[in-house]
Formats: sequence, C-alpha cells, structure tokens
Amino acid sequence: MNNNNINIVLAGQGNAGKSSVFNFLTGLHQHIGNWAGKTIEKREGTLFYKDHTIDVLDLPGIYSLTTYSAEEIISREYIIQNSPDFVVNVIDATNLERNLIFTLQLLELECPVILALNMIDLLNKKKSKIDIEKLRKHLNCEVVPTIAIRGSGLTDIIDRIILMKGEESIYKSPRYGKEIESSIEELSLELKNIDLPYPERWIAIKLIEKDNDITDQVISLRPWIRKKADYLCTILEDIHGHDSSVVIADERSHLAARIVAETVSNIAVRDISLNDRIDAITSHKVTGYIVMIMILGGMFLTVFSFGNWLSGQLDLLFKNWHNWWNTSFGVGYITSLGWSAIESILALIQIALPYILPFYILLYILEDWGYVARISFLMDNLMHKMGIHGKACISFIIGFGCNVPGCLSCRIMESKRERFISAVLVTLIPCSAVSVIIFGLVGKFVGLWWALGLYLFATVLIFVIGKISSGIIGGEPVELIMPMPDYKAPHLRTIGLQTWHALREFVYIAAPLVIVSGIVIQAINLAGWMPAISSALSPVTVKWLELPPITGILLIFGILRKELILVMLAAYIGTANFSEALTPQQMITLAIVSMFYVPCVATISVLWKDYGWKRTLTICLFEIIFAIILAGIVGRILDLIM
Amino acid sequence: MDKIKEEKYLIDLKDGQAGVIISIHGGRNLIKRLADLGLNSGTEIRVLRMTLFSGPVQIEACGSRLVLGRGLASKILVGIKE
Repeated sequence: MNNNNINIVLAGQGNAGKSSVFNFLTGLHQHIGNWAGKTIEKREGTLFYKDHTIDVLDLPGIYSLTTYSAEEIISREYIIQNSPDFVVNVIDATNLERNLIFTLQLLELECPVILALNMIDLLNKKKSKIDIEKLRKHLNCEVVPTIAIRGSGLTDIIDRIILMKGEESIYKSPRYGKEIESSIEELSLELKNIDLPYPERWIAIKLIEKDNDITDQVISLRPWIRKKADYLCTILEDIHGHDSSVVIADERSHLAARIVAETVSNIAVRDISLNDRIDAITSHKVTGYIVMIMILGGMFLTVFSFGNWLSGQLDLLFKNWHNWWNTSFGVGYITSLGWSAIESILALIQIALPYILPFYILLYILEDWGYVARISFLMDNLMHKMGIHGKACISFIIGFGCNVPGCLSCRIMESKRERFISAVLVTLIPCSAVSVIIFGLVGKFVGLWWALGLYLFATVLIFVIGKISSGIIGGEPVELIMPMPDYKAPHLRTIGLQTWHALREFVYIAAPLVIVSGIVIQAINLAGWMPAISSALSPVTVKWLELPPITGILLIFGILRKELILVMLAAYIGTANFSEALTPQQMITLAIVSMFYVPCVATISVLWKDYGWKRTLTICLFEIIFAIILAGIVGRILDLIM
Repeated sequence: MDKIKEEKYLIDLKDGQAGVIISIHGGRNLIKRLADLGLNSGTEIRVLRMTLFSGPVQIEACGSRLVLGRGLASKILVGIKE
C-alpha cells in the first residue's frame, strides 16, 4: 500500500458532531451511497492534506456496538474486517458520560482509537473543564479537543494521525471489575489462537454478554467452550444478582461514570440556561403544540408561496421551449419522443427548485437548531397509535413537500417494520403537486373549506390506514429512545451541504424513471392507443367515478407528475375554468382519486429501491383499487348531499 | 445517603421530580440498550416533563437529556428520596 494513503473511519453517537467533522474534512469530495444490500447510508470522502491522501468513512451514528440494529452490526463488522488505520471517535464533551460508554466498546475492539472531544466550547460555557491528560491516561488513547463546526482541532487530529501512522501501538482494552476480569481471562485462555477475526479478549466479553452471533461462531469452532462460558456466566450472575449480559453493560457505565467523576471538574448542576427557557415553551404540553403548529404552518406557507412564485417564473421561462424545439427539429415521432424526455427533465426542475429546495433548507435549519427532536417528542404519542414512533413525524412533514424525500427519510427509523409502514403512509400524504390539484380545482371552484376538508380527510385516512396496516404487519412498535439535543445556533455550512446532498439524491433517484416513463407514455400516445385506453377504462372512470372519459388518460399521465392531471385537463377543455367541464361533485371526486390512486413515478422508484419490487407493486395496486372505490363512494354521497 | 421514601414507576413521577433507578423490568435487550445510554440501577434520574395524552417522557440523567417512550418509562422503577 502507498505510504501516503491513510484510511480513517469516523464513529460516534448521533448529535456528537460526527457529520460536521466529516463535512469539514471532506467538503464536497464526498460520495454518498448505500451499504451493500442495506438501506443505510454510507458516506465516504477524501481529504488531501500535506502530501497525504486520507480516505474518510463516516459510520452510521449509533449508540452502542452491541448489535441491536443493522447500523450497529455494520459499524462493528466494518471496523473488524477492514481494520482501518484509525478510528476517530467523535464524542460530545457536554454528554461525556453517555458518549464514553460507546468509546469503551470501541476500545474493547482493540483498534487504534483517537478521541475527538467535540463541542469543547459548549462545555467551557457551562463552566466545567475536562482534564485531557487524565482522560488520555484512563482511556489509553489520544484525546484531541475539537470544535467541529468551526473546524478547530480537526487538523490537530490529522497531524497526529500522520505522525502516529506506522507506529507500532499496543492496545489496551478497558479493565472492569475483578471477578469479571478473571472470567474474561479464563475464557481468553480457551480462545487462544481461535480462527476468528476478532481479538480474544473481545470474544470473551461477547461470550459473557451472550451475544448470539459471536457465541455461535465460537461454538462451531470449539464446542467445549459453551459449557465453560455458561459456568462463568452463572458465577457472575450469582455475584451480581442479574443476567451476565447486563453485568458487563453495568460495568461499562460505572466505569464511564467513574472516569467522568475523575476527569471533569465542576460537573455542572444545570442552571437555568437559555436552552431550558426555550424548552419550557417548545416542549411544554400545551404551548409546545401551539409553537409547533406555528413553526410548521409558517414553514409550509413560506415554501408554498415561494414555490408558487418560482414555479410561475419557471413556467414563463420554459413556455416557448416546445415551440423552439419544434421549429428547430421539426415535428415527427423521434423529435416528439425527444421532447418528452426534455419535458420530464423540466418537470423535475420545476418540482426540485421551487418546492423541494426551500423545503430542505428550512427542514435542515430546524434540525440543526435542534427543533426536530422536539417535534418527535411531542408527536410520539399520536404516532404510537399508528404503530410507529415519533421520529416518523419528520418523514410525514417532508412528505407534504414531496413524497420522494419523505420516503427516503423513513430510513432513520430503527426497524424494517416501521420503515415500511412509515413509507407507505408517506405515499398517501398530499404532496405539493397534489396540493396544486386540491387548491387549483377544489379550492378555487368549490370552496376553500372543501379544499381544507380534503386535507383533514387525508389526515384521518392516513391515521386509519396506519392503524390497520400496523395491525396487518403485526409486531410491537419500537419504543422511542432518543437523546434530546440542546438548542444551538444553526450552522450554515452544514445546512448547505446537507441540502445539496439531499437534492442530489432526489435527482439521481427520480430522474431515470421519470424520463423513461415520460418517453413510454408519449410513445403510446403517438401510436394512437390513448382513445382505446380511455374507452377501456371508461367502466371505471365514467360508470363508477362518474367522470368524463378523458379522465383515464389524465390519470395515466398523472403517474408521472400528479399536477399533470390538472394541466392536461386544462389543455383538453381549452380553458382553465374547470367549472365549464366538471360539476363540483366531479371536482372533488377527481381530487380524491388524484390524491391516493398511486404514488408518482419518482416515489415509486424510491420504494422500489428501498423495499423491492414486490412490496412496491403491492402498494401501487392497493392504492389504485382503494382510491377508486373510495372516490366512487364519496362521489355518491356528494350526489346526495350537494 | 438519603433514604428512599417511596418507589414509583417513572411514568408516575411528576414534572421535575427526581430519583434513583431501582430496577428495570424488561428483557435483556432493553436493559442493555438502556445501560448503553447510561441508565441502569443506581442512576440518578430526573423527569423534566411529560406530554399530554400519555405521551413520552423527557428525562435527565448522567448530565444529558433523553426522551423515553411511554411503554418504556412504565418499566423503570424509581426510588424517590426524602
């Protein structure tokens, strides 16, 4: 290997500033992908520094290495299998005790750890100090104080890494209580030279922790160890009075508490800080909800008013492009297909720039500020009734802007079950394109209250479907365990980078399918099959839904972009005054079908990518049938009451 | 050390009330998971606030704040000191 090549991984708990470190080190030299076969984000980047090429991998933010979640297994296996040159453990100095428990687990892996003691400025503000030298001695690893968002201390880490590279180091895993140590020692003897990629002491600890995976691996090689391990576990359980797996976990947290007691001076008894005062309002059982409605309402209002304005500007900009295309290339089959590809790209731009971009910016500001965790806290109860927990609320909020990032964000949920249920529910949320239909059709020609009523209707429906689907899928919702970050000033660079990457991901995922299906539908159109299709669909559209025959075609194009339903209807009837073509009942029926009948193509591609084609097809099929039945029934009820 | 006056589940504590975790009634995974966050028997814990309609609980322990789901909080037995 090249001597100037160094690879490091960043590990640490959520909210410790790991992303800031990663962004500062790698800037725009980042590559964001997925872990093989997983829906977990893999972030890699490169740093060129003093003649060295440093590859940086950002492991998922996790709370432990004891395999509860896929993220935890990935991190553990990556560190063991790839033995990176250095593991930079980013920890939050203001939450030292909790963060150290994770550090101890990392040290148990006997890998070269450097501790980035982050947010040291916030700690100083709280008038407490950490004795770095003592901490270094306790942990037996390098400790560097950092302020990641300002980049301070990060070059120190890299300098130290370059210095230490190639040095032979002896790793000393943390020591626990006497009786535990003697059990570990006995097991380690039995494990000498076992053919597994893990350190022996670490395997011994895992045996005491009753880690199923590791135990199985050991037993398959040396079956006699099971008896020994069981015996030692029973002894420990007799001494401590509870399960040996808990004994080790307890031991770690006691050690962490002891280290904190010995290294931190003036462990601040939290005084009433600004944070507490803000939280007294924003987390309050009454005012919290009022503030939340105001913040989210303001956010939607801003996004929609800005979005409508910009999308109008873009309309003006793109207005003549079709004519230019036709005059430059002539009108023919090939050029029409070419135009539909371009039209799809323009459509993506018209969703991405006016709606998704501002949405992401505002959302990341809220997140960086620390407010998103408050929303999860306040909404957990309601979400729990649907069988998912408070974090899903974020995906729902994003879904109102656009279902695509909404579905993508479901990846933050811990279990597969919750990820899937949340994603299904997000596809039912009226996104900005559907809002165009609701307001442009129902809001304008039937009445604003009817339009708002449709939103309420959708919310209730999502709640009911959530309840039913979590009943069908079964299983218990995972309980919410979430650290509550302190409020801090939003950091513009971080927000900018996050927005940029999210927007790029949206385009990468959505673009291919949107363009291809644009061309396919145009081809069907050119082949002259549309009238046949619309008459084939007429039993559903005309008989059941009581809508004009053209609806069949509108709904097919609507799969590309929901607002095309309205745009094409206007083109078909030759006016934007829809009351000339549709009765109020028909408008509401059409709006309801449009809201639920199928996720748009871009959303389908996300579902496909994350949940496989079987589940995606099931969702689409279900939603089509559901929307048609629902809209037909609503239409008949409206006939009676309107 | 102060004597423990009464034992209550975390869920039954009032806003601002503090105590010491006596035991956690849950499976091995739950107990380990909480221990990884620094919550085990003997940990000092303080309820910051609850939400309306029996939602989750916001607590402070080991100098940091956590939100725990309702079901979880009803499995944590806390001793309240005099």
